[in-house]
Amino acid sequence: MTGSVRWQDAALGVIGTGSLFVLWELASRLGFVSPNVFPAPTTAIIGTLRTVPLLDILGHVGTSLLRIIWGFALGVAAGTVIGIASGWYRAFGVLTKPVIELLRPIPPLAWIPMAIIWFGLGEPSKVFVIFLGAFFPIVTSAYKGMTGIDPALLRAAQTMGLRGPKLLFRVAVPAAMPDLATGIRIGWGLSFGVLVAAELIAADQGMGFMIMNARQLGQVGVIVFGIILIGVMNLITDYFIGAVIRRRIGRWHAV
Amino acid sequence: MRNSRIIGGLTLIFLLVLWQLAVTWGFLKPFQFPPPSRIGGAVVELATKGFPNNQHIWTHVGVTLWRIIQGYVLAITVAIPIGLLIGTVAVLDKLTLPIITFGRSVATLSLLPLVIIWFGTGELTKVLLIAYGCFWAMLSNVIAGVKYVDPVMIRAARTLDTGRLRMFVKVVVPATLPRMFVGARMALGVGFMVIVGAEMIGTIQGLGALIMEARTFYRSDITIVGMLFIGILGFSISTGLSWLETVLLPWNKGLEEVRR
Repeated sequence: MTGSVRWQDAALGVIGTGSLFVLWELASRLGFVSPNVFPAPTTAIIGTLRTVPLLDILGHVGTSLLRIIWGFALGVAAGTVIGIASGWYRAFGVLTKPVIELLRPIPPLAWIPMAIIWFGLGEPSKVFVIFLGAFFPIVTSAYKGMTGIDPALLRAAQTMGLRGPKLLFRVAVPAAMPDLATGIRIGWGLSFGVLVAAELIAADQGMGFMIMNARQLGQVGVIVFGIILIGVMNLITDYFIGAVIRRRIGRWHAV
Repeated sequence: MRNSRIIGGLTLIFLLVLWQLAVTWGFLKPFQFPPPSRIGGAVVELATKGFPNNQHIWTHVGVTLWRIIQGYVLAITVAIPIGLLIGTVAVLDKLTLPIITFGRSVATLSLLPLVIIWFGTGELTKVLLIAYGCFWAMLSNVIAGVKYVDPVMIRAARTLDTGRLRMFVKVVVPATLPRMFVGARMALGVGFMVIVGAEMIGTIQGLGALIMEARTFYRSDITIVGMLFIGILGFSISTGLSWLETVLLPWNKGLEEVRR
C-alpha cells in the first residue's frame, strides 16, 4: 500500500467519525434529543471535567486497570499453563478437558454470586470474575494450539534428538504461540467486557462504579463520558497488547 | 477418542463424588460449595415449587431465551444488510472503519446506566443491550466476509459475463455466508454474556435474576443450578447453530481457523 493511499484511508476514517460526532452534536444542540437524555459529546466531556475532579477520574481509571491487569495476568498464567499441559500431556488433558468443557459455556458474569460467596465483597471477587473472562478463551486456544501443531515439525525436532521439556519449550510452545496469542487478545477483550459488571459488586472506585454512581445522581453527561472513556481505554490497551504480541512472536505469524 | 470420553465422564463423576464427600466430612462448607445432592434437590425444587416467588425454572429459561432471541434477531437483521452494504462499497468501509472499531470496543454493559435512563429497567433495556453487543460482532464479520471473498471467484464470474446484481446475489452473498455464521456464533456468545449482566437489574425473572436472587436468600445451591442452566442453554444453542451451518453450508469446511 503506498503512502498516499494510506493517508487517504485515514482521512476518510477521520471524516466518517467526525461527521458522526457533528451529527450527534447538532442533534443535541438543535433540540432533537434532549441534552438531559443524551447530551452532546462536548457537553458531556466538558460537563464531566467540570463536575468530577480530574484526580477522581484518574483514580477510577487506575483502580479499574489494576483490577483488569490482576485478573488478566492470573488468567494468562493459569490458562497458558493448563492449556499447554493439557495439550502436551495426554493423560492430563483427558482429565482437564471435561471440566473445562463443562464450565466454559457459563458466562463469567454468572459467577458473580459465587464469587461473592467465596471471596466476599472486596477486590478478590472482582478480580476472580475478570480472571474467568480471560481464562477460558486462553486455555482453549492454548489447548487448540498445542494439539494442532504440525506433526512434521515435532518429528523433525525428534530426529534431531530433541526430547522431553526441550521439545516442549523449544518447538511445541513456539509453534502454538499464534493460537495462544489469539486467545490472549480475546481474553483481554472479555476481561474488559466483564469489568463493568464486576464493579457492580459493592465497589466504591473504578470506571464501572463511576457510571453506575452517575446514574443514581442523574448525571447523564458523566455516564456518556464514562462509556466513551471505557471504550477508549479498551481500544488503547488492545492496540498495545496487539503490538506487544506482534513484536514478541514475530511478524511471520499473522495475528 | 471414545476411550477418552469415557475417562472424561468418569473424571467428572469422580470429582462430583469427591465434592460430596468433602462436604459430608466437613472439609468444605455446604453453603460455599453446595454438594451435588443439594444441587439435585434444588433442581427438583425449581421444577416443582419454583424460586423466587414460585417462578418455575422453565419460566426463567423461557424469559431469558426470549430476551436473547429478540435482541439477537434484531441485531442480525440490522447487521446483515448494513454489513453487506459497507463491505461492497469501499468508501463506506473506510469512512466507517474507526466508528465500527470503537463501537466494538465499547463495553456493552457500560451502556446499562444510559439505557436505563432512556427506557427504564424493563424488557426493552435488556433486549437493546443484547442487540447492541450482538450487532457489532455480526457486523464486522459480515463486512470482513464481503471484503475477503476469493477474488478468483469474482474473476471467474466476470469471465462468464455476470452482471453486477447477479454477481452480488449469486457469488458475493453465498461466499459471505460462512463468515456470517462465524459472526452469528460470536454474537451469540456476546448475547449470553450480556444477558446475565442485564438481568441483574430490575427483574426477578430470567436465569441472571435467578442466580442473584438466590444469593440474597443464601441459596447458593440454586445459584449453581441457574449457572448450569445458562451454560446448558448457551451450549445447546451454539451446537444448534453449528448443526444448522453443516446443513445449510455443506460445502464449507475451510473456515475452522476463524471460528473462534
